Amino acid sequence: MTEIIKPIFSVDDLRISFATHDGEVEAVKGVSFSINPGECVGIVGESGSGKSQTFMAAMGLLAKNGRAKGDIIFQGHHLLSLSTAELNRVRGKNMSMIFQDPLTSLTPHLTILEQMREVSSLHMDLSREETDRLCAQWLDRVRIAESKRRLNQYPHELSGGMRQRVMIAMSMLCQPSLLIADEPTTALDVTVQAEILDLMDELKRESGTAIALITHDMGVMARMCDRLHVMRRGEYVEEGLTEDIFYNPQHDYTKMLIDSMPRIDSPDRQHNKNQMPIDESVSGADFLKVDDVKVHFDVTVGGGLWPKKLPLKAVDGVSFELRKGETLGIVGESGCGKSTLARSVLQLIPPSAGSVCWLGKPLNGLKKEELKDKRKDLQIVFQDPLASLDPRMTIADSIMEPLQTFSSLSRSEMKEEVLKMMDRVGLDRNMQNRYPHELSGGQNQRVGIARAMIVKPKLVICDEAVSALDVSVQAQIIQLLMDLQQEFQLSILFISHDLAVVREVSHRIMVLYLGRVIELAKSEDLYANPVHPYTQQLISAVPVPDPKIERERKAIKIPGELPSPMNPDAQLKFLPSKLKTEKKGYLPKLLEHSPGHFVAEHDALDQLLAQD
Amino acid sequence: MFSFIVRRIGSSIPTMLILILISFALMRLAPGSPFSSDRGLPPEVLANLELKYGLNLPWFEQLFVYLKGIIFDFDFGPSFKYTDKSVNDILAQGFPVTLTYGIWSFVAAVAVGLPLGIVAAVRHNTKLDYAAVGFSIGAQVLPNFVMAPILVIIFTLWLNWLPGGGWNGGQWQYVVMPILALSTSYMASIARITRSSMLEVLHANFIRTAKAKGVPMRNIILRHALKPALLPVISYLGPAFVYMITGSVIIDIYFSTGGMGQFFVDAALNRDYSLLMGVTIVFGVMTIVFNTLVDITYAWLDPKIRL
Repeated sequence: MTEIIKPIFSVDDLRISFATHDGEVEAVKGVSFSINPGECVGIVGESGSGKSQTFMAAMGLLAKNGRAKGDIIFQGHHLLSLSTAELNRVRGKNMSMIFQDPLTSLTPHLTILEQMREVSSLHMDLSREETDRLCAQWLDRVRIAESKRRLNQYPHELSGGMRQRVMIAMSMLCQPSLLIADEPTTALDVTVQAEILDLMDELKRESGTAIALITHDMGVMARMCDRLHVMRRGEYVEEGLTEDIFYNPQHDYTKMLIDSMPRIDSPDRQHNKNQMPIDESVSGADFLKVDDVKVHFDVTVGGGLWPKKLPLKAVDGVSFELRKGETLGIVGESGCGKSTLARSVLQLIPPSAGSVCWLGKPLNGLKKEELKDKRKDLQIVFQDPLASLDPRMTIADSIMEPLQTFSSLSRSEMKEEVLKMMDRVGLDRNMQNRYPHELSGGQNQRVGIARAMIVKPKLVICDEAVSALDVSVQAQIIQLLMDLQQEFQLSILFISHDLAVVREVSHRIMVLYLGRVIELAKSEDLYANPVHPYTQQLISAVPVPDPKIERERKAIKIPGELPSPMNPDAQLKFLPSKLKTEKKGYLPKLLEHSPGHFVAEHDALDQLLAQD
Repeated sequence: MFSFIVRRIGSSIPTMLILILISFALMRLAPGSPFSSDRGLPPEVLANLELKYGLNLPWFEQLFVYLKGIIFDFDFGPSFKYTDKSVNDILAQGFPVTLTYGIWSFVAAVAVGLPLGIVAAVRHNTKLDYAAVGFSIGAQVLPNFVMAPILVIIFTLWLNWLPGGGWNGGQWQYVVMPILALSTSYMASIARITRSSMLEVLHANFIRTAKAKGVPMRNIILRHALKPALLPVISYLGPAFVYMITGSVIIDIYFSTGGMGQFFVDAALNRDYSLLMGVTIVFGVMTIVFNTLVDITYAWLDPKIRL
C-alpha cells in the first residue's frame, strides 16, 4: 500500500456526558475511530451503549444537557468547535443523517417537495425548476413510483418504508460524502428493510458516499458493513473487518452478541433452547379451536360531502387449533392482523364473526362474569413492557393483581406467591417495592410474564413480547418462556414480526397476510420448504448474521407495494391469474399441500416475479 | 379542503337549531312570567299583555313565529321589559361596545401571549423563560374584578391619565382600561399553552431532522414548529374569542361601559325572556361559528384532518 487513504471523518478521544439529577453520567468514554471515503462502517451495540450519541454530537444534535469533549474532524472541520451557523453549512450538505423512526421524522404539515426544496435552497444554488427536477430524480432513484404525485403529498399519505426512502432521498440530495444512518430499518418490516438496505448499498457503490451505520442487528451489519465497531457502555470493546469479527470474535461481549442473535438459517445454536416435545397425534380441537374468526372495523374513507364507511377486514376468516403444551407462532408484517387476532381470541376485541372454543366451549357470546372465570386460564404478555404496567403500582402489586381477582388466598399468602413467582422469573426479591420506571426493559418484561403466570394459566399469548428487547435480553426471556412452558405444560400463541425468533420457539407457524392465513406448517417444515411466494419472500428478506452467507443470499422481490387492506383485490396479490377469470372478491383457499402443511392458493413465484 | 368546510358548516346548522329549541324550552319551563309581580295584575290586563306578546298561542305556534322571525328577519321580537324597545335595538346598542373592547382585548392577548410563549419555549430554562412563566402565573391568578380596581387606582387616581369609567362612543381613553382588565388573564393562558405545546414540538423527531438538514433555528421555529405548536392554542382561542366579544359582566359594571354583559344580567333579573333568549342565542351562535372556524383552521394547520 503506497497510497495512504485519508479518512473523511475521524473521532479522537470523544467523551460525551449528560448532566442529570443524579450527577454527571458519562455516555461515551473516550472513543476514537475514523471512516474512509466510500466505506460502510458499522457501530453495533445494545441500547444505552452510546452508539448513537457519537454521531449526534457530530451533527450538533446532542440533548441540551449533553457535553462533548475531544475532537471530531470531518473534511477539515473541527465539528465540536463550530458555531451553529457554521455547522449549518456542513450538516445536511456534506454530511447528512437518517433516523430510526421514519413515521415521525418528517414535518407533518409540509409536502415532500417542500421539505426537499428546503435542503436545496439552503445548500445549493439552483433554480426552482432545477430543484424540482432534481427532487423528482432522487425519488425515482430511491424507487418511489409515481414520483411526481408523491412529491406533492404529505408524509402521512406515505407508508413507513416510503417515508424512509424520502428521508434517504432528502439526505442524498446534495451528494454528501458521509451518510449517517441511525437504526434506519429497525422500525420497518423485513421485506421493506431488505429493500432499504439494498438501496443504501447501491448508493454507496454508485456515488461513493461513506456510510456510518448504527444498529443493534448483527444481521444488518453482516450484510452492509466493511468494518465494525462493537460498542458497550460507552466504549469500543472490539473493532475490525466485518469478516474477522464474525468469524473470529475476540471479546466475550462480541461473542455473546453473535451467539444470542436468533438465526433464521439454523435453529441449532450452541445452547439450544430445549423445546418441549408434544404429542402430535392429539388433536387440538378440544383445547383451543378458532374457527373462521373475522374482525372487521368500520373506517371512514374518501372525502367529498358524504364520506362512506367501509369495513376494514383486519382479520378475515382465520381458523386454527392449538394443542396443550404447544407453541403456535403467528408471523406477518405490520397490518396483517396478528395482534387483532390475538385480542379476538381473548375476546378483548369481540370477533365480528366466527367462533373461539376453549376446552370445547365457545368463548364468544359469554356474559362478562362468565368470561371473567375463563380469563384466569387465558393470559397475555404485551410488547412494550414499560407501557403495559401501571406506573403508579409497585411491581409486586402489579404481579399480585390477577391473584386478587382470581384467588381466595389471604394477603400474606398472595405475597408469598408473588415472591415465589419473582424468583421463578429471575427477579430479585428485594426489587418487589420498585416501580416500573426503575427497572430495565428486560426486567419489566419479566414482571409482565410473572403477572401473566401467577394464576397458572393454560394459555399465554405473547404479543411481540420480546420485540422491544436487546438481543441478549431477548434470548434470556425466550429461555424463560420455554422453561415455564415445560414446567406448567403451557400453550403459547407467540406473535412476532421477527421470523428468526418465531422459528426458535414455535412447534408450528402460521403466516398471516392481510388478515388471512397464507401458510401454516410445522416450524422446521416451513423454513426448510416454504411453499407460498410470500413466505419465501419473508424468509429471504431476513438478514443472517454471517457475512459470507448473507452476501450470497438474494432477497426475493415480488413487484409492487403492500396493497391497502381496503383494496378489494388485495388478497389476490399472489394470485393475479384469478383477477381476470373470477369475479370480484375471490379469496384464495387454504389447501393441504402435504400432511399438516397448509398453503393458500397462489401463482408460481416465477410468474409473480415476471409480472410488472 | 372545500368539502371539509362545507361539511363542517353544514353540521353546525342543526346545532344552532337545537340551541334555539333548548333556550326556548328553558324559558317557557322556568316558573314565573315577566308580568308577575308582587302586586299582581288584574286577569284582564294580564290577558291583554299575553295577547300583545303572543303568549296566549300554543307553544309550537310561539316557537314557529319566533323561529320565522329569527331566520327571515333576524328579529328577536320585542323586549318584555323595555316596552319601547325591541331586542334588536338593545343588541344594536350593547353589542358594538362589547365587540370593540372584546376584539381589542383579543388582539392584545394574542399579540403578547403568543410571542411570549414561543420565546419562553425556545429559551427554555433561562431567565427569559422564568420571567414569562412568572408573568403568566401572576396574570392568571389576578381575576378581572381585582385587576379592574387596581387599574383604576393606578391610572385614574394616582396618575390621573385615564377616566375611571364610561364609554363616550369608544374614545381610546375609555377603552384602554377595559382592554387591559379583560385581556391579561387570556394573555397568560395563551402564553402558557403556547409555551408548553411549543416545548413538546421542539422535542419532536421532525425538528431533529430539520436541524440535521442544516436549517437555521429561526426557520425551524417559523416553518417547522409553529404550525403544529399552534394547534392547542387555536382550540383555546375559539371559545376565548367568544367570551371576550360577548363581554364581561364585571367589565361592563365596573367601567360602566354599557355592553352586553350588563344587559344579560339585567335581563335575567327582570325575567325579560325575549331579551334573555336573544342574548343567549347570539352568544351560542357565535360560539358555534367560532368553533367551526377553529376546526377549519385546524384543517389548514394539520393536513391529516383534511379529509
